[in-house]
Amino acid sequence: MKRRCAGCFVGLAAALLLAAAVGAEEPPALAGDVAAGKLPQLAERLPRTPRVVEVKRADWTPGRYGGEMRFLMAKDRDIRMMVVYGYSRLVGYDEHLQLVPDILERIDIEGGRVFTLHLRPGHRWSDGEPFTAADFRYFWEDVANNKELSPFGLPQALLVRNRGPRVDVLNDTTVRYSWDDPNPQFVAALAAPSPLYIYRPAHYLRQFHAKYIGPEKAGAQAKAAGSRSWAGLHQKKDDQYRFDNPDLPTLEPWVNTTPLPSTRFVLVRNPYFHRVDGAGRQLPYIDRVIVNISDDKLIPAKAGAGDVDLQARYLRFDNYTFLRQNERRNNFRVRLWEKVLGSQMALYPNLNVDDPEWRPLMRDVRFRRALSLAINRHEINEVVYFGLGKEAGNTVLPRSPLYRPEFATAWTKFDPKEANGLLDAIGLTKRDARGIRLLPDGRPMELIVDTSGESTEETDVLELLRDNWRRIGIALFSRPSQREVFRKRVFSGKAMMSVWTGLNNGIPTPEMSPLELAPTTQDQLQWPMWGQNFENNGTGGEVPALPDVVELVRLFDAWRVSATDAERERIWLRMLEIHAQQVYSIGIVTRALQPVVVQNALHNVPADGIYSWDPGAYFGMYHVDTFWIDPKERP
Amino acid sequence: MLRYVGQRLLLMIPTLVAISVIIFVIIQLPPGNYLESYIAELQAQGESVDPQKIAFLRKEYGLDKPLIEQYLYWVWGMLHGDFGYSFEFNLPVTKVIGDRMLLTIGVSFATIVFTWAVAFPIGIYSATHQYSWGDYGLSLLGFLGIAVPNFMLALVMMYLANVLFGTSIGGLMSPEYIGKPWTFAKAMSVLEHSWIPVIVIGTSGTAGMVRKLRANLLDELQKQYVVTARAKGLPPGKVLFKYPLRMALNFFISDIGSILPHIISGTEITAVVLSLPTAGPMLLNALKSQDMYLAGSFLMFLAFMIVVGVLVSDLALAVLDPRIRLQGGVAR
Repeated sequence: MKRRCAGCFVGLAAALLLAAAVGAEEPPALAGDVAAGKLPQLAERLPRTPRVVEVKRADWTPGRYGGEMRFLMAKDRDIRMMVVYGYSRLVGYDEHLQLVPDILERIDIEGGRVFTLHLRPGHRWSDGEPFTAADFRYFWEDVANNKELSPFGLPQALLVRNRGPRVDVLNDTTVRYSWDDPNPQFVAALAAPSPLYIYRPAHYLRQFHAKYIGPEKAGAQAKAAGSRSWAGLHQKKDDQYRFDNPDLPTLEPWVNTTPLPSTRFVLVRNPYFHRVDGAGRQLPYIDRVIVNISDDKLIPAKAGAGDVDLQARYLRFDNYTFLRQNERRNNFRVRLWEKVLGSQMALYPNLNVDDPEWRPLMRDVRFRRALSLAINRHEINEVVYFGLGKEAGNTVLPRSPLYRPEFATAWTKFDPKEANGLLDAIGLTKRDARGIRLLPDGRPMELIVDTSGESTEETDVLELLRDNWRRIGIALFSRPSQREVFRKRVFSGKAMMSVWTGLNNGIPTPEMSPLELAPTTQDQLQWPMWGQNFENNGTGGEVPALPDVVELVRLFDAWRVSATDAERERIWLRMLEIHAQQVYSIGIVTRALQPVVVQNALHNVPADGIYSWDPGAYFGMYHVDTFWIDPKERP
Repeated sequence: MLRYVGQRLLLMIPTLVAISVIIFVIIQLPPGNYLESYIAELQAQGESVDPQKIAFLRKEYGLDKPLIEQYLYWVWGMLHGDFGYSFEFNLPVTKVIGDRMLLTIGVSFATIVFTWAVAFPIGIYSATHQYSWGDYGLSLLGFLGIAVPNFMLALVMMYLANVLFGTSIGGLMSPEYIGKPWTFAKAMSVLEHSWIPVIVIGTSGTAGMVRKLRANLLDELQKQYVVTARAKGLPPGKVLFKYPLRMALNFFISDIGSILPHIISGTEITAVVLSLPTAGPMLLNALKSQDMYLAGSFLMFLAFMIVVGVLVSDLALAVLDPRIRLQGGVAR
């Protein structure tokens, strides 16, 4: 007892010293509560060593406290975006895509397989309870290894060669995860926008856990709440990412106060948030975040009417001109940020198509190359994208250290002559009266491309493609459907070819997982059956039949146990090279742009940015907690 | 009469059972289930999904069970007042719908009052002044009201209201009042926003009602008793309101059957365009995301309202109009 108090005192003194040294001020919104004794002083609310956020950007200025920031979302469930924008993670990416500790004070990695996580002493949940190693222990012992809460085992990112980690709680603020082999997925999963949460607010969740309150009480409680089991109720209360439980303590900058369903969510500042600015002032600057729910088709109109402070989600590039028109009248600016998709739009030949004539063709690299060569990318770029895109294949972007120009240009030069030559070489020389080539069984080559039917952009591009491919004797038809039907058709092999966006992460670094480049899930449009085979550990689906694809799987497996960055880079480059040469997906243009509406009164939003889910968490890596509002500029 | 009512009530049971089967089957017809559309939606935004979590939810929501078992579970629950669980909101269905009901009923009620208030005088005027300039002019307006799609009218009016009066786009009140207790300012904000949906939803109904009232009234006005009444020197107002208008109201009573569900569901498309916090858009979203218990229970509730409404209007007609009353067992 005595010792603990002494510790407290030392900690307090240190924190006070720190606060005094940098002259930190109490956020005015909290000053009343602090004066009334409802909240402890700032120094007691911050961890002993808070995370100091110093953004080095020319237009970045230290902010002013107060105000509220408005967002628009289309569904109640989108409230999770506030966890993405808040971006409090154990470790997270900064603006330069470097991983830095955030909630953690430090992370020590030995040999890529032993991870020692050091928490910030004195860190607290948003309800004021201490955030300690006990919260990690609760996750590991009572959630991840509880048969009822996790009947399907550990999360993928915790498994290396199907074996879980050893978890040791070394002391109150230190936790160690260790595997026998390197686990490069682990840190990336912690930093993801939808992260792997390896901690839980134990003090709150115990009241739902059968182990702590007994199975009878837990069962009765679940029944009263309309859940089938206590595990269901626990799971429902426990979702830190869904952000739909106002009672669940959080570590994010703003705390949701509104339960679902609602058309307006109010988030208030977390008085225990662990980040401070360079002057030691606690973040976030903005007191309240308001999320209004509206129909997604109405969101561009509402953004144009000035009803938001910061908005990118649900704004499309074709809203750009409308938004620009309203800039002056409603005091905002529209910025164009770069999306990081490997390709704005890509065609995926289905290597698992169930048609016996088409399947060998789709698997023939000459056929895929011919299709790619026959596309007049320049024309599509000019007609559909106002020439703002960049004509290239589906590969990583120049921002990525893994970018090689030859991957982007491989088989993308418009050359119908060579394309025709390749098709002739396959033996598709017979043509019908229209000039369409004939398949070996005599049917005309009518290639049907499935689209998810979500945007007219896809159908516009396919119209142009139809003329392009006509010149190499292939008739193209598009078949718009609906998202689930689309996926079902691809997976069952009914779809010959499909259209979707390119690589989700166009700016990878070697330590990010090359999951997308190998057949790893059944959602991959070019080889769903092979992906399923991998996903289910070799049961179900089909075993990959092409040597290059087998090599991709082998490379991915090697990456999963790789220990050094040099090794990972080598693996990545080889995988990208195979993709570029084998044309498993046919990219059309890259560098798509995302309109971002920023109210004039809102400061510190970068003028140029990248709009990326992972890595980046959309606005998250630009530190939304350091954005601030100038009340004088509010109309 | 009592026996007739009893029969009608008994007949409602197989009707509702049949409706529940149809609703359930139709909701299940599109491929996949809630979780699959949930995954697809996340992936469309580039988000990833943890397969373990999906597997857990599939079990927790009972989506791994055979269809017939899911159906019985739903029906059995409804008999006990449990309308199932909304996957989308992670809440029991009653809690999800409850909040929206008040506003929905409010908007629908205002719309119906608006429809009646406009349609009655116009209908009566048109019938009594048949083929006059006034009749032609109002009929033209009425046809325009029927012909212009509601959603387009909604968009145009919303734009004008925003540009001319600075009303915030969509919704039933300015965002700052949502979730706040009712105050004078909030009520004013609701009034400021609600005239658009009331007029938009009201126009097509108004036009239809004008035409129906005019036609029915015209039929009656030509009958001999009207001529007799006039010949006997009854004042024109009394001639009109005492007999022919009352006769012409039969169609109106039989409309109750369709008005009841209308009050609950509102007009979906207009409500979506205007982004009203009413029940219509919620039903549409539930159907789109295959949130089957929410959608199913909602539709079931609407079906129940229709069945009850039809019964009520049949009974009311019998009470109001002696000609329709059943005599003994003759009508069967």
